[in-house]
Amino acid sequence: MTVSSSLVTELERIVGASGIVTSHEGRMTYECDMHVFYKGEPDVVVLPADREQVQAVVRACRAAAVPIIPRGSGTGLIGGAMAPIGGVMIGLNRMTRILDIDVRNRCAVVEPGLINLMLTKAVAARGWFFAPDPSSQMVSSIGGNVSTNAGGPHCLKYGITTNHVLGLEIVTSRGDVLRLGGKVADRPGYDLTGAAIGAEGTFGVVTAVTVRLLHVPEAVKTILATFSDIETASEAVSAIIAAGIIPAALEMLDDVMIRAIEEGIGAGYPKDAGAVLLIELDGPAAEVTVQADHVAAICRARDSLDVRVARDDAERALLWKGRKEAAGAIGRIAPSFLLQDAVVPRSKLPQIMREMRAISERHRVLFANVFHAGDGNLHPLICYDESNGDELERAKAANEELLLACIALGGSVTGEHGIGFDKARHLTLQYAEADLNFMYRLRRAFDPDGLMNPRKLLPSHPACGEGFRPHRPALPEGTWV
Amino acid sequence: MRSLGAALAAIVGRDAVSDDAARTSAAALDGVVPRAVVRPSSTEQVAHVLVLAHEERLVVAPRARGTSLDAGTPPVRVDLVLDMTGLDRVLEWSPDDLTASVEAGITLGTLNETVLGPRRQALPLDPVGWRRRSVGGVTATNASGPWRARYGTMRDLLLGVRFVQADGVVTWGGAKVVKSVTGYDVPKLMVGALGTLGVLTELTLRLHPLPETERTWFVTGPSLEMIQACLDALIDSALQPTRVDVLDTLALAGFGAGDAKAALAVSFGSVADAVHEQGERLVAIGRGAGASVTERPMELWHDLERVTTPAAGDVTLDIATLPARIAETLRAFGREEATLGRGARSIVTGRGTVGALTAVVKGAAPAAVASLVTRLRAIVADHDGSVVVRGGPREARAAIDPWGPLDPHVMDLTRTIKQTFDPRGVLNAGRFVGGL
Repeated sequence: MTVSSSLVTELERIVGASGIVTSHEGRMTYECDMHVFYKGEPDVVVLPADREQVQAVVRACRAAAVPIIPRGSGTGLIGGAMAPIGGVMIGLNRMTRILDIDVRNRCAVVEPGLINLMLTKAVAARGWFFAPDPSSQMVSSIGGNVSTNAGGPHCLKYGITTNHVLGLEIVTSRGDVLRLGGKVADRPGYDLTGAAIGAEGTFGVVTAVTVRLLHVPEAVKTILATFSDIETASEAVSAIIAAGIIPAALEMLDDVMIRAIEEGIGAGYPKDAGAVLLIELDGPAAEVTVQADHVAAICRARDSLDVRVARDDAERALLWKGRKEAAGAIGRIAPSFLLQDAVVPRSKLPQIMREMRAISERHRVLFANVFHAGDGNLHPLICYDESNGDELERAKAANEELLLACIALGGSVTGEHGIGFDKARHLTLQYAEADLNFMYRLRRAFDPDGLMNPRKLLPSHPACGEGFRPHRPALPEGTWV
Repeated sequence: MRSLGAALAAIVGRDAVSDDAARTSAAALDGVVPRAVVRPSSTEQVAHVLVLAHEERLVVAPRARGTSLDAGTPPVRVDLVLDMTGLDRVLEWSPDDLTASVEAGITLGTLNETVLGPRRQALPLDPVGWRRRSVGGVTATNASGPWRARYGTMRDLLLGVRFVQADGVVTWGGAKVVKSVTGYDVPKLMVGALGTLGVLTELTLRLHPLPETERTWFVTGPSLEMIQACLDALIDSALQPTRVDVLDTLALAGFGAGDAKAALAVSFGSVADAVHEQGERLVAIGRGAGASVTERPMELWHDLERVTTPAAGDVTLDIATLPARIAETLRAFGREEATLGRGARSIVTGRGTVGALTAVVKGAAPAAVASLVTRLRAIVADHDGSVVVRGGPREARAAIDPWGPLDPHVMDLTRTIKQTFDPRGVLNAGRFVGGL
């Protein structure tokens, strides 16, 4: 226990008795996010009601030199919102107000605990929406989306969270309120808003977010293209992008996933298909019509077995229901799975799919694929049954091998889930010591005492340590003044 | 003691170092003559130059095509001008991935017209004078143009960046793929930082396919309010323009729009039918508000670029406001402009749907511009807007802080960040916000 009773008393004074959780049973709820491998119970959980309370809590924690862990809905997938070395968790679930909706200026200001979908619901009647749409959008918070720089199926066309955030209000570990960016799009100085998005709570506690809203497009068409196998479907993905078409979404599901979904909720996917592509086009009606024909022609030319356009909203919703509930449906096949989030250049999809098949066979584990094919963001569910011998170990080995294969193809270790506790060690695959050292020092500029969400986002490697400087190039012989 | 020139020559070769009076004077920044101009041809050479500069506590000013050197606070000291035009290669272009990695000194003109154009792809940034501007310079100044309406700014297009820190450490941030949330978003930090955190040497970029067809319409009206109403209606519609610029009365002058007071230039890009339909709908929006809408040739954008290109002695102001405040800001500008003095005038244009305006002020004394900027800052302050002196003669940028004030906490953090990465003040010292 790193938290003294006097700090607990102080925190209770700030947030009130109903805003503090100290019992073991209560705190257990907060010991992990959706990545249940990593558990770390906070010593105390506080649920502040406004920015002033957040500020007071942070100041109290800082005075006591206690770690601070911000948390939204806890739907992250990376071991982000948990307390590996204890400390005070700040749950932002009570800060859910929409502070301002300003469609004339295409933006809104919200508190961090607001559920993603609630914002779109609040502006839908006026014809607007908030573009980032992680599959968790019914439960995940906008503050959490900001902290992980969350993506979603439609970020292929619309971009990820960072492309839709204009400003942030952050309480730093010193208890200062930083107002970064805002409704006005340009501001002199460094783009600290951009730097703070995806910082996973290591720069401070986000207490308000100014987001960009988009006008709902005139038309939407959803197409389901069926293929005999995943490699062929991957070729079609590349061909669509290469033709200069950027669909709103371009999602892939493989045979294992299709069967799990059809046996579960039933989304109308062809049960005997090797793979399907779920392709959504949106925009001006005439554009959508022409591009839909073009996409259908490309799929057929790439050996699609069947191309079907959803006839109405109900059919469209059903096709999407299958996609959005895919991870849940896999429970019919395996009790547990590891979820990978690596990225490859989209033209390398056919190749990585072949490698994935080989990895799956080599380690004798089942892969179920459901992913954002359009931007090369893989999400294989690597299935295992913990009670079945060394299956978990084999699944982990396969997971690691796939990650390395993606990096070897010029990819990235995470496309939209983030680093958290889970992938901190993997950063060294993508970055040299100098690169990580830059990030470490950036973190210290925001949080000099290292109180904010410790052990997350960066590896605790000597290369990141204070005082360490990466190798500097030696000057050539004779270079001196 | 060996000369600085000899030390630099050992790094980049004698031919790539200029330390004679003629060439160093030609490279003067705001009248400050550097000791040498050095033209490296690789990231490694840039790193070696910076190691040397760091050891010797020299102030280094990176430049490429030299089109934005009149930006920022006038420097007090410049020892080395780092000419980046030797790094101008396309390192990798994967058309099927819509990504490219280029060296920082390549121009947008070469990249978009020579390399990507034939495949109907582009890095969609079109700031004034874009053909001659380097990709690195556009990143460091976060410059954009009419395409911003559709494609955003470099902030939305920069995926990865290689840069050399002040002490010569070569660093990479971001990724080479279109989607990655791996660690801190270092590329964002480099956009608009004026090279104060690192010298950019390599940029990995998101490309866009160019639309099959693009056409342009001109919406003109007898009042600012009418143009604001058209802009509001355009924003609150499902139309998806590729470019949207607002023009004030003076900007309009050469466009044969009669006695119109303001205008919107709007382009739609898509398949032919969708462009046609959207054009029709824009006509309906304009007529509904009482404005006149005519189709214009695409050359309108070249003409507009010409009108908004500053001449020698002009001062350029970037005015950040809100889309709904465009008319109000233009009117305030017109009112305040009257104090600039006889013979002075200004041309105001900008991104209507974003709220980013640019004024080119002609024939005004530095003190008059400074006082105009002070009053404009007070006017936009009520909605957190800003006015930055983006370019102009040294005197105009010396008469007032060209960046304007930052929130004190933000300024503290900005200072800490600069101190962290460049404690000796090697990179563009004294030219950025808060005198950093």
